Amino acid sequence: MTATVTNPVSTDQQAEALPGYNYAFLDEISKKAIRRSLLKAVALPGYQVPFGSRELPIARGWGTGGLQITLALIGAGDTVKVIDQGEDDSVNAVNIRRLVERTAPDVTTTTETGTATIIQTRHRVPEQPLREDQILVLQVPLPEPLRLVERREAETRRMHGEADYSRMWVALYEDIVQNGRLTRAAGYPALVNGRHVMTPSPIPRWDLPQLHMSQHLSLFGAGREKRIYAVPPLTSVVPLSFEDYPFTIEQFGDRACARCGSTTSFLVAIPNEDGSVEYSCSDSDWCYSRIDAQEHGTA
Amino acid sequence: MTITQTDPVNAGQTFRDTAPVLRVENLTRIFGPGCPDCVARTGPEAETNTCPTCGSVVACADVSFELRPGRTIGIVGESGSGKTTALRCLYGDLAPTSGRAYLSVYRDGERDIFEADPQDRRRIRNFHLGMVYQNPSQGLNLLISSGGNVAERLLAAEWRKVAAIRDRAAGLLGRMEIPVSRMDEIPANFSGGMQQRVQVAKALANGPVVVLLDEMTSGLDVSVQAGVLDLMQDIQRQEQVAMVVVSHDLGVVRLLCERTLVMKNGRVVEAGVTDQILEDPHHPYTQLLVSSVNM
Repeated sequence: MTATVTNPVSTDQQAEALPGYNYAFLDEISKKAIRRSLLKAVALPGYQVPFGSRELPIARGWGTGGLQITLALIGAGDTVKVIDQGEDDSVNAVNIRRLVERTAPDVTTTTETGTATIIQTRHRVPEQPLREDQILVLQVPLPEPLRLVERREAETRRMHGEADYSRMWVALYEDIVQNGRLTRAAGYPALVNGRHVMTPSPIPRWDLPQLHMSQHLSLFGAGREKRIYAVPPLTSVVPLSFEDYPFTIEQFGDRACARCGSTTSFLVAIPNEDGSVEYSCSDSDWCYSRIDAQEHGTA
Repeated sequence: MTITQTDPVNAGQTFRDTAPVLRVENLTRIFGPGCPDCVARTGPEAETNTCPTCGSVVACADVSFELRPGRTIGIVGESGSGKTTALRCLYGDLAPTSGRAYLSVYRDGERDIFEADPQDRRRIRNFHLGMVYQNPSQGLNLLISSGGNVAERLLAAEWRKVAAIRDRAAGLLGRMEIPVSRMDEIPANFSGGMQQRVQVAKALANGPVVVLLDEMTSGLDVSVQAGVLDLMQDIQRQEQVAMVVVSHDLGVVRLLCERTLVMKNGRVVEAGVTDQILEDPHHPYTQLLVSSVNM
C-alpha cells in the first residue's frame, strides 16, 4: 500500500486466513477505530490520541500498540518487516511476523528494509533512510514524556494543552547542573511541529534525526497505555536542548562493525568469551546487505 | 469601585499620563453553585461571605483597581476577606466567576486576560507575571535546586542557554542574599526566610511587569520580616516592576504601597492613598483595623 493511512480490507480475503479468525486478527470495527485514531494523530503531530487498545495473543508491553497499528493498516500487496532492537530474528519480532503471516495470508513479510511497505519496530529506526511510500510503526512502552516530572495524567494533559513544558526543561537543566551534560540516552524528548513534546519511544539518540523532516510517516502505538501518536512526513522533530549544551548523537570514535566494517551505523557491544569486546551493527539488515554486497564485489 | 487616578505624592508629574500596566474590573469569584442573590445578599453590610439563598461562598466580588508601571498597591483585610482569591484569579491559579482584567503587555491592554485561551493565559503568566505565595511549598518545588527553581521561570520564558540562565539565577539569588554556593542546593534544606527569598528571586526572574505577593512575610519572625521587606524596598527602587501586595499586616502595606484597598467579606470597602487610609480611615471596618494595630 502507499503511505495513506486508511486501508479498508475487503472481506473476501478472510477465507484464506487462519480458520475462525478475522483477517489480520482484529475485527473490522476495531481496525476502523484504530485507523480513525491514526488519522487524528496525523492531523495533530505529536499529540497522544487515546484509543481502545484490544486484547491480542501477545501480552501488553510486548509490542501490542505497534501490532494493532500494523494489523489495522495491512492489506493485500503489503510487505511487512518486523524488527526488535534492529534484529529481524529475535523471538518477539519472529512471533509478531508469524501472526501477520498466518492471519493475513496475502501480506508478504520480509527482512529487507528497502522492500517493506510497513516496518514495525521496537526501539530502533532502520539505518537506511525510508521513502515516502513506507510507514514506520514504533512500539511504545511509555508514551508520556512528562511522566518523569508529573505523575498525574490530568495534569500532564493540561500541560500539553497549554504547551507548558517548563518542568520538562527544568529536568534537563538539573541534569546538566548535576552531571555536566545531557545524560538521557534513549527516548530523548523532542518537540514535534513546534507544538507537542513527545517521546520517540526508547530509540537511541542516534535515530532521532531520522524522524526530522523525514520522507516517511512514523506511527507510534502504546498498547498498555492506550495511546497513538504520529510524526507525518516532512514534519520537524527537534530534540529539547540548550544553545550551549546541544543535542548530540552517540559517538563511536574509530570503531567499526566487526562483521561488515560499517563506521556509519549504530553499533552495539558484543562481549567475547576472552573478555574482549567486539562491536557490530545493531541493524541486522543493514549489516547483512553490506556483507552481501562485499561478497558480490560491489561494495 | 475604582481608585481615582491622581496621585498626591507625585502630583503634576507624568504619572497621570502613563497607561496602567494592570486594570482589573469587577473581579468576582464565587465558590459553589451560585444564584442571582449571591452578590446582593453577601458583603460587609450582610456581614457574611456565604449566600443565605444557595450557600455559595462569595470569596470576592466587584474588585476593581488600576496599577501604574513601577507602582505598588496593597490589599489588606482580615483572613477570609477575599484577598488571596483575587490574587490567585489574576495569576491564573483560579478562574474568576466574572470580571475582566487587562495587562498592558497583552494585546496592548485591549483584550481581557480572563478571556484568553489556556495557551495564551499560560504565556501571560510565564512571561509577564510573578507570584510569591504565602507558603513557599506552593511557589517552589522544594526538591529541585534553588537555581533550578529560578531557572524554571526563565525556561518557561524560553531562555535556552544554560550559562545565561545560571548567571541570571546566581545574580537574583545573590541579590536576595542567598549565598551563590548554595544555589544548587534544594530549598527543602533552607530556613523559611530563605525559602521566601528564593520565591522572590523566582518571581522576578523573567522581568515581569507585575509581581503578586501573597502574605509573603506572614510566616516569618519579626527580624527576618524586616530583612525581606528591606529587600523588597530595594527592588522597588531599582526595578520598574509593579506589585500587588496582599497582607493582613498594615505595617507591611504602609512600608511598601502607595495605594491600598481595604477588603471585608469579599468587597473593597475603602481604597486610596495608603497614608490617608491609615491617618484618616473612613469605613468603620478600616477604623477598627487601624485602631487595633499599634503603629
